[in-house]
Amino acid sequence: MPEKIRSHKASKVIERMGRKLNRQMVGSLVACVHCGMCTESCHYVLSNPDDPTFAPAFKADQIRKIFKRHFDWTGRFFPWWVKAQDLRSDEELEKLKDIVFGKCTNCRRCSLNCPMGVDFATLNRMARGLLTSVGILPEGLAMVSKDQWEIGNQMGVLKEDYLETLEWLSDELENEIGDPAARIPIDRMDADMVYAINPREIKYDPRTISDAARIFYMAGENWTMASEGWDMTNFGLFSGDDELGGVMVRRLYEKVMELRGKKLVMSECGHGYRTLRCEGPNWAGMDVPFEMESSVVTMLRYIREGRIKVDRDKNDIPVTFHDSCNNARSCGFFEEPRELLHLVVGDFREMYPNRAENYCCTGGGGAMSMSEYTPLRLKSGQIKADQLRATEAKIVVTTCHNCVDALTDLIRHYKLGMQVTQLVNLVSNAMVIEKRVVVPELLILKGYKILVVDDEPDILTFISTVLEDQGATVLQAADADQALDLALEEKPDLITLDLAMPGRNGGYVFEELRKNPELSACRVCIITGKPELRRLIYDRPVRPPEGYLDKPINAESLLINVRKILELAHDGEK
Amino acid sequence: MSDLLNFVENELQVIALSFMGLVYILRLRWLLRFKAGRERQTPTGSPETSQVKGILYSWANIASPWAMESTRLKPFFYAQFVIFHLGVVSGIGLSFVIPYAPGLLQNPWVVRIFQGIMICAAAVGAYRLYRRLSHPVIRLLSTPDDIFSLSLLIVWLGFAVGAAPNRPDLGEGPLLIYFILTTFFLAYVPFSKISHYLYYPFTRYYFGKSMGHRGVYPIKRMSQPKPTKI
Repeated sequence: MPEKIRSHKASKVIERMGRKLNRQMVGSLVACVHCGMCTESCHYVLSNPDDPTFAPAFKADQIRKIFKRHFDWTGRFFPWWVKAQDLRSDEELEKLKDIVFGKCTNCRRCSLNCPMGVDFATLNRMARGLLTSVGILPEGLAMVSKDQWEIGNQMGVLKEDYLETLEWLSDELENEIGDPAARIPIDRMDADMVYAINPREIKYDPRTISDAARIFYMAGENWTMASEGWDMTNFGLFSGDDELGGVMVRRLYEKVMELRGKKLVMSECGHGYRTLRCEGPNWAGMDVPFEMESSVVTMLRYIREGRIKVDRDKNDIPVTFHDSCNNARSCGFFEEPRELLHLVVGDFREMYPNRAENYCCTGGGGAMSMSEYTPLRLKSGQIKADQLRATEAKIVVTTCHNCVDALTDLIRHYKLGMQVTQLVNLVSNAMVIEKRVVVPELLILKGYKILVVDDEPDILTFISTVLEDQGATVLQAADADQALDLALEEKPDLITLDLAMPGRNGGYVFEELRKNPELSACRVCIITGKPELRRLIYDRPVRPPEGYLDKPINAESLLINVRKILELAHDGEK
Repeated sequence: MSDLLNFVENELQVIALSFMGLVYILRLRWLLRFKAGRERQTPTGSPETSQVKGILYSWANIASPWAMESTRLKPFFYAQFVIFHLGVVSGIGLSFVIPYAPGLLQNPWVVRIFQGIMICAAAVGAYRLYRRLSHPVIRLLSTPDDIFSLSLLIVWLGFAVGAAPNRPDLGEGPLLIYFILTTFFLAYVPFSKISHYLYYPFTRYYFGKSMGHRGVYPIKRMSQPKPTKI
C-alpha cells in the first residue's frame, strides 16, 4: 500500500517543530517515564474520572509521539516500540487542536507534580503555536488575536471609544470627589506610574478603572494612562504565537518609554501580568528599562506607607481567594494578594489547596474565548466549585479577569450563590476618605531659564504659569525691544516667541537673535496663531527655530515641546 | 571459575559499560545541541526564592516527598519508588562487587541485605507491572518499551538475587545469566526509558531555574486548613 502523502500543513508543523525546540522542551519530551504521577493533579482528570485521555501525560504524548518519530533516534528507527507516530493529515491536526486547546488550560499544576520536572504546559503551548502557524486554532481565539494584531487590543475597542469611556469616568470621579485633579490623566509625560488595563475593564467593568483612579487620587499618585498601547492582555500567550506576544508587549513597553514613565503598573489580570512581567522581555528580545509591578503591590504599598487608610470592617462579608495560575504558578505571586486581603477584609477564608497547589478556574489558556469547549470547561470546573463551596464564603476574590469570568460561570452553573470581585474593588470600598496625600511633583524644568515673548497678556500669563509650575525661571517680554534686551542680559535657555506683535514683529526678533553671536545658541520655539506668518521665519537666511506650536496651545503640548527642545539642547551640550 | 564466567564478569561488562557510556555521551551531545531558552526578565516572587535555590530545590525533589502533592498524598507509592530504585542500585552494585570485591559477599549478612532489597524491589516491580497493565490511565500511556523495560528489570533482579551469594562452585548458571542479562541491560538502557536518570539532572535543573527565577521555587510550605472531602 503506498505511503499516505503528508498534507502541506502537517509538513509545516513538523518543519517548524524542529525550529521551535529548545533544550528545555526536548528535556521535557524525552524525560517522561509514564509513571502517571501527574494524573490526579489535573482538574480535567478529577472532574472526568472515567476518561483516561485527560491525563496530562497522555495529552503530552500526542505531541511527544510526533517528536519521537521525527527527532528522536529510537522513535525514528523503531517507532512502534515507543509509540512514535507520524503526522500526515489535517484531520490529525484537528484532533490535536481539540487536545491542546480544549483539554488543557496550561495551568502548570501537572508540571509542579511531575517527579522528572516535565513541563507539560510549555510543551502544550509549543504545540498550540505550531497549530496556530498553520491556521488551526479555535475560531474565538483567532478572532481575538486578529483584533490584537489590527486594532491593538483584544476587544477591538477603538481609540475614540476608549478615550470617551475614560472621559466619562473622569467626569463621574470629578463630580463625586469635587476635584478636577481626580480626573484620569492621559499621556501625561514623566509620570511616576503608567497604568495598563485589560480591555474587559473598558467594555464590561469600568468601575475597576474608576476604583483604581480613586485610589491613585487619594494616594496622591503622579500617574497616567496611555492613549495607545494600553492593552496589557496578550493572546500570543494563549495561541502560542510568540510573534503576536512580542508585538503586543512591545507596543506597551514602547508607549511607556515614549511617555518616559518610571514604572508600569498592571491592573489585576493574570495572564497580562505574566506576559508583561515575565514572558514579554523574552518574546520582544529586549531588556525593559523601567520597573513593572502589579497594582496589588501598588495598593499594598499605599497602605503600608499610610498614603491611603482602609477600614476592613467595611468589607464584612466572608471572602475567599482564588490564586490565578498565571500569577501564582508562573510568577510566584502568592503572598501579596493575601497580605492586602487581610488589611481590607474582616473575614478571610483560605480555600484548600491554595497558593501553588490551587486548582485552575478552568478559564485559563484562552478558554473563555473558545466557546466550542464551554460544556467541557464547565464540567471540568467541578473540582473548583467544590473548593469554593467548602469555604462557605460569599465572595471569591481573584487577581485575574479570565478567572473572574470563569468563576462567575462556575458559580452560576453550580448554583453556588457567590459573587466574584477583585482586590481593587475591595480596597476602594474599604478606603477611609481623609485628606488627600499630596506628593511633591517632580519639577521637570527646574534650573531652566525661559523667556516668554507675547504681546497678549493672557497668553503671556498662561505660558508663564505652566512653565513656572514645572520649576522654570520665567522672564516675560511684551514687545520686540524688551525681548532682545532681556535675551542679551539674561541669556535664557529657551525663548518662546510670538510672531504677530505690534511694531517690530517676531520675525525681526528671531533674525536678531540668530545673527547675534552672544545669542545664537539660544533655543527658540515659535508660538503663533497665524501660521501664514511662518514665512517671517522661514524666509530668513538663518537657522530655523528648534520648535513650532500653533495657537491655541494647551499645557501638555507646550510642555512636550519645551522638554523636547531643552533635551536636545542638553544632549547637544554633552 | 570457568573462562566463560570470568569473561562475562569482567571484559564483557567493561565492553557493555563502554558502549553505554559512548551512547550516553552522544545522547548528551544531541541534547546540548538544542539552544537553552533564556529568561531576560528581572526575578519575581519573594526574596527567599532565586535561581540557585530553585535549582537545588528541584534537584532535591527526588528525596523530598513532601514537596509535591503527588508524592505527599501517596506515601505508599513513594515508598515503592524508593524500594524499587534501591533494588536497581543494589543490582548494579552487585555487578561490580562480584568481580572486583568478592570478599564483601563472604559475609552472609551482606548477601542477605542485597537479596532482601532486590526481592522487595522485584516485588514492587511486579506490582508496578500489574498496575501498568490494569490501571486505565497507565495502560493507555504505556509503550512496549515501558512494559519491556519493567519486565527486564524484574527478571534481572530475580537473577541478581540468585547471583548474590557468588557461589560458582555450586553452579555457574545464575551468575552467567545474571551477567549476560546485565550486559543486555547496559546495551539496551541508552535507547529505552530507563535512561530517564540521565535526563533528571537536566530537566530538573531547567525547571528549577525557571521556577526559582519566577519566585515559585522553593515552595514555602504554609499551614493549610483541614482538607475537605471533594
